[in-house]
Parts: sequence; C-alpha cells; structure tokens
Amino acid sequence: MKKFRLMTYPYVAWISVLIIVPMILIILYAFTVGGNDVATFRFSFANFQRFVTDAVFMEVLGRSLYIAFITTVLCLFLGYPVAYVISKAGDKHNLILILLITLPTWINMLVRTYAWMGILQDGGLFASILLVFGIEGVEMMHTNFAVILGMVYNFIPFMILQIHTSLAKMDTSLLDAASDLGASKKQAFLRVTLPLSAPGIISGITLVFLPAVSSFFIPKLLGGGQFVLVGNVIENQFLVAGDWNFGSAISLIMAAVIMLLMFLTRKVEKKTSMSGGED
Amino acid sequence: MEKKKGISSKVIIIISLLFFYLPIVYIIIFSFNSSRSLTSFGGFSLRWYQKMFADKNMIESLLYTIIVAILATIISTVAGTITSIGLSKSKRVLQSMVENVNSFPVMNPEIVTAIGLLMFFSALTVRKGFGTMLIAHIMFCIPYVMLSVSPKLKSLDPNLTDAALDLGATPFQALTKVIVPQIKPGIISGALIAFTMSFDDFIISYFVTGNGVQNISILVYTMSKRINPSINALSTIIIAIITIVLLVVKFSPAARTIKDGATSGGSNKARYIVLGVVVAAVIAGCGAGISALGSKSRDDAIAKYGSDTLKFYNWGEYIGEDVIENFEDEFGVKVICEYFDSNEMMYTKIQSGESYDVLVPSDYMIERLIASDYLMELDLSLIPNLSNVAEGCRNLDFDPDNTYSVPYFWGTVGIVYNTEKVPYEELEEKGFSILKDTKYKGRIFMYDSERDSFMIALKSLGYSMNTNNMDEIMEAYEWLLDLNNTMAPVYVLDEVIDSMSNGIKDMAIVYSGDATVILDENEDMGYFMPYEGTNLWSDGMVIPKNAQNPLLAHEFINYILTYEASYDNSATVGYASSNEEVLLEMSGPEGMFEENEAYLPRMGYEKDEIFRDDPVLKKTLSELWIKVKAVN
Repeated sequence: MKKFRLMTYPYVAWISVLIIVPMILIILYAFTVGGNDVATFRFSFANFQRFVTDAVFMEVLGRSLYIAFITTVLCLFLGYPVAYVISKAGDKHNLILILLITLPTWINMLVRTYAWMGILQDGGLFASILLVFGIEGVEMMHTNFAVILGMVYNFIPFMILQIHTSLAKMDTSLLDAASDLGASKKQAFLRVTLPLSAPGIISGITLVFLPAVSSFFIPKLLGGGQFVLVGNVIENQFLVAGDWNFGSAISLIMAAVIMLLMFLTRKVEKKTSMSGGED
Repeated sequence: MEKKKGISSKVIIIISLLFFYLPIVYIIIFSFNSSRSLTSFGGFSLRWYQKMFADKNMIESLLYTIIVAILATIISTVAGTITSIGLSKSKRVLQSMVENVNSFPVMNPEIVTAIGLLMFFSALTVRKGFGTMLIAHIMFCIPYVMLSVSPKLKSLDPNLTDAALDLGATPFQALTKVIVPQIKPGIISGALIAFTMSFDDFIISYFVTGNGVQNISILVYTMSKRINPSINALSTIIIAIITIVLLVVKFSPAARTIKDGATSGGSNKARYIVLGVVVAAVIAGCGAGISALGSKSRDDAIAKYGSDTLKFYNWGEYIGEDVIENFEDEFGVKVICEYFDSNEMMYTKIQSGESYDVLVPSDYMIERLIASDYLMELDLSLIPNLSNVAEGCRNLDFDPDNTYSVPYFWGTVGIVYNTEKVPYEELEEKGFSILKDTKYKGRIFMYDSERDSFMIALKSLGYSMNTNNMDEIMEAYEWLLDLNNTMAPVYVLDEVIDSMSNGIKDMAIVYSGDATVILDENEDMGYFMPYEGTNLWSDGMVIPKNAQNPLLAHEFINYILTYEASYDNSATVGYASSNEEVLLEMSGPEGMFEENEAYLPRMGYEKDEIFRDDPVLKKTLSELWIKVKAVN
C-alpha cells in the first residue's frame, strides 16, 4: 500500500512547480495595482472592490454561471441516454462508437463554430429547412439558442465519455440480482445503474461546467459581442485593456465561486452515493 | 421487447451522430468551395487543397500539432493514471488538495493559465518552443486524465488489490494485472480527452511557444482578417486520415488476428507492441517531415547579413500569397513567420522577451513601443525604397519622421451599407448618427472594439476621438448606451466580412480593407466615410532592439516597399498599399479596385484623426464598453 502512495509524490512536485507557482503570480497580480511590471507592485484590494461594487460585473458573472448551468444540465440529460446505449452496444461496437463521438472534437473548435454560423444564419441550412415547413423569419444567430447549441455541441462529448466510462464494465450481476429480487426495469435502473454511474456523472458535470463558465469563443461568435460572459471580460482585461491586475482578480473571484459550487456538489454526491451504496 | 429496445437505441445513436457530424459535413462541403466565403457556396473547386499543400507553414504546424498531441497524450495518460492510483490509496487531505489544484487549469480561462506560464517560463529564461509547449500541454492534460480515471477507481473494490498482494503478486503485478484492466475504460476516455485538449489548444500554446514552433490552432485563431478555407481542406484531410486508420484497424486481417488474440487473453503484449510501433512511426515521420521542411543553411546570406533567417511577426492573413517565398528565393534566406491577432497580444510577447526581426504593429502601438524603448532607430540609408511610400501615410503623428517605422497598410473606418436599403443622401445628411435611426433597428452590425465604438460616438458628438476629458467620454458612453438600447445592434469582429458579403444586415462598421473585400464580393454594398471625420489608421513595420538580425530586417522592409511585393500584398489582402504607385494603379482606371470606393483612404481631411496611445484611457474605455454591451 505504501508503495502506491509513493506514486503520488512526483505529481505533487510537478503541480507545485507548474500550477501553483504560476497561480501565485496571478494571485500577486490580483492583490496589487500599478501595471504589469512586477517591479512597480503596490498591495491593494482595489481590483476586488472594483468588481464587487459594480452591478454590471456581478450580472456578467451571474449570466456566465447560468449559461454554464443550462449547458451542463442539457449535456447530462441528452448525453446520458447516448452513453447508456453505447455501453450496451457490446465490446465490438463500443470503441468505434466512442471514437465516432470523439472524432469531431479533433477538428478545430473555431472551424466547427464557423460551420454552425453558416448553418444558423439567415438563409442558412436551418432557415431553409424551416422554410419548407412554411416557417419564416426566425432569427437563430446571436440568440441564447445559438450560444447554448454551440456550447452543448462542444462539451457533450466529455459528458458522454465520462458516463460511458462509469457504465462500461459495470458488474451486470447486480442487475440480475435486482431483477431476481423482483425489481422492475425502472427500479433496477434507478436503484442500481444510476447510483453506480454517479461518479461518472459527477466527473462529467465537472468537465462540462468548469470550462463552460469561462468559455468565450463560442458565446462571442454565436452570440455576438453583446453576449458578455466572465471569460470575455477576463480575456479582454489581459489582451485588450492590458490590465492584468484586474483580470487576475476577476479570475480569482470566479475560481472562488466555482470552488464553492463544486464543494456543494461533492456534498450532494456523497449523499447520493451513500443512499445507493448499500446495494 | 428486446427488438423495440434495439430500435430505440439505434434511433438515439443515429440522431446523435447526425448532430455531431452536421458541422463536419458542412466543413467538408466548404473545403471544395471556389469562393473565400465560409458560409456561402460559390461553386466546386480544389483551390484550397492546392493552397494547403503549398503552404509549408501549415504543413509544418500540422506535424507539430500531431507530435505534441501524441506525446502529451501518452505522457499525461501514464502520469495521470499512476497518480490517480496512488492518490486513491492516500489520505483524504492529499486527495482533496490535489483535486482542487487540478481544477485550476480546468476552470480558469486559458488566458490566465497562459499568462501564469508565460511569466514563469520567462523568469526561468528558458528558450520557448517545442519543449515548453509540450510541458504546458502535459500540465493541462493530466487533470483531465485524472478526472476520467478517478471515478473508476472510486467504484473499484479495494479488496481486489489486497487479495492480489496476499496471493503473492508484486505491487507492480497487482497494478498491471488487477487495477489497470479494471479501470481501462477510464484510461481510454482520459486519453481521448487529453488528445482533444492538446490538439485544439490555442491560447496556452500561443504564449508558451516561440522560435517558429506553432500548432494548427495558433494558425487558425490568428487568421485575424479572415479564416482561410484551406483550414477546411486540412480538416477534411484529417477526418479522411482518421477514418482510414479506423477502417484499417477494424477490417484488416492483421488487426483481426491481434484482436482475436486479445479477446482470448493471449497476446495483449503483441497488441501493445504493434500500437507502440505505429505511434513511434508517426512521431518519427512527423519529425522527419519537419526537418525536411527546414532547409539547409545558406552561406552567402550568412556572409552578407550575419545570418540566414528572419523572424517576421505579423497579423494573420495579412501578406501577399508569394511575397515570403519570393523574398526567400531572391535573397537566399529563410523567413520564420509568426502571427498575432491583436496589438496587445503582440506586445505581451515582446514584453516577455521574445525576439523578432520585424513586427507590424498599428499606429498607437508603435507609439507605445517607442515609449517603452523596445524599438531600434531605422537606418534609412538601407531602405532606399522609402521614396516609394505614398504621401498620405508618411510622417504620421506617432512617428513624425519615420524614425522607427515604415508604413505597411493603411486606411479608414467607415460604414458598409446596402445600397438597396439605405439611401446615400441619408448617410450624407446624418453621418454616424444614422446608426441611431430606428428605421434600421436590428439591422446593424457594430464592430466589437471599444476604441472604434467610442471613436464613432465622439466624432458624432463633435469631439476629438483622442480626448481624455471625462465629461466628453461620459457623453459618448451615453450615446453608445442609447444606441445599444434602442437599436438592438449585434457586436461582431472579423466575421462581419462573411456576414456582410452575404448581406445579412443593412449597415456595418468596418475597416476599409475589409470593406474592400465585402464590396468586391457583394455589389449591392457601398462604403461611406462620414463627414464628422473618422479614424485614419496605419500599420507599420518596425525592428525591435533585441532583433537578432537587423541587417536582414532592413533588407526585408525595403523589399516590402517594392512595387511587386506591395502589389501582391494589396491584391491579396485588399488593404490600401503604402506604395504610391500601387495605390494609384489599383484605384485608378482599369485597376483592380477601380470601382471600389472602400480601397483608397480619404487623404488630407482635417477631421480624420489617428489614434494616440493612452493606456489609462484605454482601460477606462474598455470598462465602459463592457458596461455598454452587458446591459440588457
């Protein structure tokens, strides 16, 4: 057992250097003012104050969390059946189906998003299809619909992969046992399959929600510039306004909010896995 | 019952595959498009395939992308799996600590991780390039692998390992024979996600790489002016290759015997050996490809300039088709091209100590680079072609005697309008305030940039666009807010070129060079420069102080000013040339842009201004601009 623990140390050293040290630099920026040059630092809470006291920024953060939440929920409910079906497809088709789902993600995200723009725009593919049914003048580009469609498209493969992972190689004797004991299919699913896939669901949610909160290319292209999300604001501070201090502060605030949310989710996870744990 | 279930499963699979592949089919179709548009089909052609294969830069980037993605995937999968297993046997405290630290790169916007790593690598003064990019990719891939592997470990019965150990297995055997087979689905999906993340990464890669090492994402995202459809061709080829590989793996006899062996449990080893050989061959092939593309050193050039390579840092898609190649042939040198998509992006890299020979920043950024003492004074005796430069873009305010910079492209900002929908007289009468005419509500594209938007508001109110008088700025802010609330405009960036070429809206704020392209593709469109004055801008070539090869840099600048290079540049990109002869020829009778009112900038109009650099003002405007857009 001890030997296995040793395998953790190299990674702890690695993240200390490559994640924690750069993170400390960002924290340093967040708590100081006076430009991007380390030499002219002055300690200050001004960046945080600026964010918290301005209703617009709080609104932007709220909107980002909301969009990410919707995206995550949709990915979960649309992704679960797909993952379930794939995991039942048998060893022969399993890997091929998983690869088929992953393959589109190897095409550049920007290129795929441009394709969606072509499909959604006025006179594009969807508009032409709607026209066949006599529906005209539906604006799809630069709407919530377009943004969420783009986000779900981009993130759902991660959800499917994670859920599939937890369903694959699941001990099917448990299901047999359940049905032997008189459980209906629905009961067996709710009492056995679902709790067993809970770890996969949680890591799927993590993999979709965390990057979705800060994503900005998709909202920018499909939603237009008026779709200001926290990722755009942070990117803007670094790459346009040149205010690294404020940008760092926003990213810390966002990180803190997300950590809190994740902490709460883990609590829920513990509860559900406890209730399903007796099987 | 069973049959019904089979059908509904098939329906789910088919619908989801349709969803996943709809954009992919779209990309494949548009890779055969004869026009440049990414959203309207002009006819069948193979030109983008030709262009792609002729583009050394693109092929080289593809090879780097593949090598980095494969290595990062292998290393991060192995490291992530090992760490996860170790962690599952460790104390809770350590587990949650590592989990929390891991979530930072996943949830932070990439730019935050990128800036952190950039500062870190710069502080260590390591040479940026392949190594730093690979390290960064491994860094952000491992958390994804661990997120995929850990749930599988959590549902693993801990007694299994104990049983194996009790039965006399060594820890290594317990690991490879008991644990790994149980968590294999997690490892596979971790590896797939790692590969995706690495293959598609832009911002982190951009800031940690250097010295000409680029991946495909960097190329795509820095195609600032317009995405080049050869990317569609490249994507199609990638899809084709992967499909072929998958088919071979599934149906070839060799694969089948290996597979049979694997299911019977016998020759797992053989399978891994084959896989290992294939991966090694791919990496070796890519490596060989890269070294074949990099040509031998040229002694003549070294004798004359002290070196045979020039590092050129330019906007994406901002140079003539053959300019670089012709320069390389004529002077017997090699040019390494890197690209940026905003002035600030470029400035961040310069600040971090990266060295380039020639840059092409915009007006206000040249002013900032001069003020920060990053630029070298040009030796004008080495640039005799300076005499070719058009009067209108010479000696501009930010560099009055062209001491540091030589103009590259220049132009104005104006309104592209649909001549069928918007009468010219109305534009002439109202100027920029036509953007607030509710007749055109929902029919307007604004350009998503704080400086250009405030320019419009300030000009419309009759103020200078360089004002730092807060009252005037707040008045402009109210003007923009009012526009936002009454007109429902959409704020776009360079996708405006495609959208206006397709006539999606009636009016759009556009840079003159992009307007030239729009007018060229859609004859209903016109370009108008309001009487209130507008932004006269100019991008210039400069040489940084830390340039490795200033002599060759001067030669390059001089070459760009020649008639041939300037013509190619302007004809390809559509922006106004800094070369007077080219400018007059293109806009003159029989010229390429004779009928195109967007091409030739307005010269000598006193209300037109050039942006001056004011970092404090820029921060203020950027914050106000977010507020304008975010109010809903």
